[in-house]
Amino acid sequence: MTRTTQITILVVLFALLSLFYQGLWGDPRHIPPVLVGTRAPVFEGPDVESGEPMSSEQYKGKVILVNFWASWCQECKVEHENLLRLYDEFKDHPEFVMVGINYQDEIPKARAYLQRYGSSFPHMQDVKGALAIDFGVYGVPETFVIDKQGVIRHKWIGPIVDNVYTNLTKNVLTPLLQRADTQVRPYDQAP
Amino acid sequence: MFRLFSIPILLCFVIPTAGLAEVVDETEIDQKVREIAKTLRCTVCQTENIWESGAPLAHQMREAVRERVIQGQSTEEIRAYFHSRYGDYIMMEPPKQGVNWLIWLAPFLLLFGGGALLWREVKGWVTRTPPSQPPPALDETSRRRIERELNDNQ
Amino acid sequence: MIIEIGHFSVVIALVLAVFGIVSSSLALRTRDADWVRAGRMALTLIFILLSVGMAALIYSFLARDFSVHYVATNSNSQLPLFYTIAAVWGGHEGSLLLWVFILSTFSTIAVWLHWRTQPAIMPYLIGMECLVILGFLLLILFLSSPFDRLIPAPPDGKDLNPLLQDPAMVMHPPMLYMGYVGFSIPFSFAMAALLSGRLGEEWIKVTQRWTIFAWVCLTTGILLGGYWAYYELGWGGYWGWDPVENASFMPWLVGTAFLHSVMVQEKRKMFKVWNLFLIIVTFSLSLIGTFLVRSGVLTSVHTFATDPERGLYILIFVTTIIGIAFGALMLRANKLKSQIEMDSMVSRESVFLFNNLFFLVATATVFLGTLYPLMIETWQGAKVTVGPPYYNTVFMPIALGLLFLMGVGPYIPWRKASQASLKKNFLIPVVVGVVSTVVLFVLGIRSLFALTGAFVVGFSGAAIFIDVGKISSLYARRESINLLKGFFSAFTANQRRYSGLVTHVGVLVLVVGIIASTVYQTEKVVSMRVGDEFVMDDYRVKLERIHDVRGKNWSAQEGVFEVYEGDTLLTKLRPQKRVYDASQTPTTESAIYAKNMGHIFLTMPDVSADGVAVARGVINPLILWVWGGGGIMGLGVLLNIFRPRKRDE
Repeated sequence: MTRTTQITILVVLFALLSLFYQGLWGDPRHIPPVLVGTRAPVFEGPDVESGEPMSSEQYKGKVILVNFWASWCQECKVEHENLLRLYDEFKDHPEFVMVGINYQDEIPKARAYLQRYGSSFPHMQDVKGALAIDFGVYGVPETFVIDKQGVIRHKWIGPIVDNVYTNLTKNVLTPLLQRADTQVRPYDQAP
Repeated sequence: MFRLFSIPILLCFVIPTAGLAEVVDETEIDQKVREIAKTLRCTVCQTENIWESGAPLAHQMREAVRERVIQGQSTEEIRAYFHSRYGDYIMMEPPKQGVNWLIWLAPFLLLFGGGALLWREVKGWVTRTPPSQPPPALDETSRRRIERELNDNQ
Repeated sequence: MIIEIGHFSVVIALVLAVFGIVSSSLALRTRDADWVRAGRMALTLIFILLSVGMAALIYSFLARDFSVHYVATNSNSQLPLFYTIAAVWGGHEGSLLLWVFILSTFSTIAVWLHWRTQPAIMPYLIGMECLVILGFLLLILFLSSPFDRLIPAPPDGKDLNPLLQDPAMVMHPPMLYMGYVGFSIPFSFAMAALLSGRLGEEWIKVTQRWTIFAWVCLTTGILLGGYWAYYELGWGGYWGWDPVENASFMPWLVGTAFLHSVMVQEKRKMFKVWNLFLIIVTFSLSLIGTFLVRSGVLTSVHTFATDPERGLYILIFVTTIIGIAFGALMLRANKLKSQIEMDSMVSRESVFLFNNLFFLVATATVFLGTLYPLMIETWQGAKVTVGPPYYNTVFMPIALGLLFLMGVGPYIPWRKASQASLKKNFLIPVVVGVVSTVVLFVLGIRSLFALTGAFVVGFSGAAIFIDVGKISSLYARRESINLLKGFFSAFTANQRRYSGLVTHVGVLVLVVGIIASTVYQTEKVVSMRVGDEFVMDDYRVKLERIHDVRGKNWSAQEGVFEVYEGDTLLTKLRPQKRVYDASQTPTTESAIYAKNMGHIFLTMPDVSADGVAVARGVINPLILWVWGGGGIMGLGVLLNIFRPRKRDE
C-alpha cells in the first residue's frame, strides 16, 4: 500500500467522521425557510369563530404576526398561553396585528379549542391547507412575522416558548414596530 | 306483437342505467397531476413523493397541484411555485446546477477515472509479468480437455 | 421479575464480553491455551445469557407485561400472537438486542466449528467478536435498554406500528441482521489474518461458506423489505431508495464484490490486501448503516428516535472498530505485497477487477446519494432531496455495466483469453443480445433502459445457456445418459461453478422483472361509486360493493372489486382501508391478483362519506420475476453451501 493510498484512506475516513459528528447536532426535520426576505403571500379566508371573510389586505402596512395552528397539535397547546400573552403585550400598538391560521382542522373542533384555551386575536380557516402551502408550512405550529412593507422577516418552526418568546418579542417585533428598515435576527438564531 | 317484443328490449337498456353506473376514467388533468406530483417531495414524509404519500399534507399538495393544473398552469410553472415556497428540498432530485453537479457527475467520474487508473495499473502488471507461461490451473486443464473432447466429437 | 432476570443476564454478558477481550489478549501474550479456552467459555456463556435476555423480553411481550416500557410502546393486548413476537424487534431497543443476540450466536458457532482446524485464529476471533458484542451491549444497557420498567404500568400498550404488522416484517429484520452480522465472521478472520500475519488463502477458504451465507441472508432481507414495501405501503413499488434501504444495500454491494474477488486470491494468490480491504469495508458499512439508521442524522421512513447522545456513542463505537481495522490494514499492508502476475488484459482476473470497480462505484454512488443531503446541510445550511429520479438516472448505467460483466466473466479463462476463445464463447451471445434488442424495438419498445437491458440480459443469458448445454451434452455422451441426466451429472461434478451460475440466472430474471415492472407499469386513479367501473389495459375493474369488516385489532372499509378480462370474471379483489384500534392509525391494504407473471394491484386509499371511493389500480408486468429471481438466487446459494466437499477444499 503506497503512502498516497494510506493518506487518501485516512482523509476520507476523517472527512466522514467529521461529517457524521456535525450531522448529529443538526435537526433532520428542519427545512430552511426560503420565504424569509420575500414578499408575503396574500392570505384570505373565513374567520374560524364567526365565519366572516378575512383578508390580509385589511392589515396592509402593519406588522403582522401569523401563527399556524391546529386543534390536534400538541405543541400548539404548549404555546397557546404565550400567544395570548404576546397579543396582550402588543395589542395596543396601532401597527400590530396578529392572526392565527387554523390548519388541517375541522371547524367545530377548532372552535371548541379556542373556547377551551382562550381566544383574543382573530383566526382564519385554512381547511384545504392552501394558505399553509403558500407559506411553505410543513407542520404546526409555525410562526411568521411580516413587516410593514409586506415582507416576511422571520419564521419560527415549533412552539413559541421560553427563549423563543423573548427573541420574538424583543429582537423581532419590537424593532420592526419601531422602525421599518430594522435588521432583525435571522430566523434560526434564537438566543 | 310490438308490445311483447318491446318490453324485454327496453328492460335490457334500462337495467344498466338504473343504478347510474358508469365507466369512469382518468382525465388529462388527473394524468398531469400525477406526473407533477411524482416529482415533488412530501415535506413531512421521508424520501417519498406527494403522489405516493398518504400524509394529509401530501393530499393537500396534490389538491394544490390539481387546482393549478385546472387553472392551466404548465408543469414548470407549478414546480416553480412549489420550489419558491419550499426550496430545493421539495424537488425529488437535486437541481442540476452549481455544486449539485458534483453528485450528478461523481458516479461517472469515478467510473471513468477509476477505470482509467485500473487499466493503467493492470497494463503495468501485464508488462511486468514475464512471458513464461506457468502451467494453467487445474480446473483450466479439465476445461480444456472438455473443450477438446467437444471439438473431437463434432 | 422475568424482565429483571433478562436485564441481569445481559449485564453479566457485558462483563463476560470484557473478560473475553482480556482473556484473548492474554492468550496472545502468554501463548497459554487456557486463556483461549476461557475466552471460548466466555463467548459461549454470552450466547446463553443473551438467549435468556431475548427469552425474557419475548416472555414479557407474550405475557403482555405493560409495566415494561418497551413492551408498552410496541405492543397492545389486542395484538395477534404472531405480530407480538415480531414486536420484540419492532422498535429500536429490541432490534438492537436481536442484533447482538445473532452476533453472539454466530460467533459461538464459529468458535466451536473452527476450533480444531484454526487454533491460531481463535484468540483474534474471540477478541474481535467480544469487542463488537461489548460495543452493542454498552449501547443497549446504557442508552437503549428494552428492560426498563414503566411505573405505573399503563392499562394497555400503545401498539406496534400497524405498518409493521405484516408477515414479511416478521422475518425482514432477523434476515437483514443475520446478513450484517454474518459478515462479522469473515471480518474477524480477516482481522486475525492481518494481526497474526498469516495472510495465506486460509482465512478465505475457511470463511467462504460464512460469506455466502451472510450474503444470502442479506439478499433475502433486502428482498423481504421490498416485498413488504410493495404490498404494505400501497403505491405498487418495492424500492424507494430510502436511506435505510440504502444502508442495507451498500454492504450488499461491497459484499458481492468481495464474494467475487476472493476467487482470484483462491486461484491465483493475488490481491490479498484488496480482499482484506473489501471485507473490512463490507463490515464497516454494516456498522455505518447502523449508525445512519439509529443516530437520527438522516431522516427516513424507518429512522428510530433521534438522540444526539446515543448517536455520538454509536459514532465512537463504530469509529473504534473501523479505526482498528483500517489501522491494522495500513500497518500490515506493506508486509503482504504479493507478486502480481497478469498475463493479459483480457483474462478472468482483469474482469474480476473491473467487476470490483463497478461494484465499488455503485456503492460510492449510493453512499454519496444517501449522505449528500447531510453534506449540503452541514456545509451550506441548505436542504436537498436525493430521491429515486437521481438513482434511476445514475445507478442504472452502472448496474447494466455490471450485468454485462456478469455475462462475460465466467467465460473468460484465467490468465489469458485467446482471440479464438473469445470469438467462440461470445459470438452467439452477442448475436442473441442484439437480436433481443432488435425484437423489442420492433415490438415498439423505445425505453433506452429496456433496450440496453435486453441486450445485456440476452447476452448473459445466452452465454450461460450455451455453457450449460455444452457441458450437459458432453457428460451425457461420455456417460451415455440422456441430456437431463447429463445436466445433473455435470452440475454435481462442478457444483461450485454451476451453483454460482444459478445465482447469475436469478439475477437476470430479477433484472427482467425490475425493468418490465418499472418501465411498463401502468397506473390509474379514479373516483367511483358502487356499480361504476374503469378500464386498465385489457381489464375492466368494477366496484361491486363497499362494506365494513372487522379484524382482531382493526376495523376496515373493504371494497369488493370485480376484475374482468373481456366478459370473464377473473377475480374479486378486496382492498381495504384499515384503522387500527389502539393507535387509530389508518393504513391501506392492497389486494393483488397475479396474471401472466404480472400483478393487478389494487388499493382503495379513500372512501368519502357519500360513498365515493378512490380506487388506485396498478398493473405491474412481470413483477413475479422480481421475487422469482430472488428465489433462484437463493437456490443457487443453497446449492453452493450444501455442495459436496471436494478434495482440494
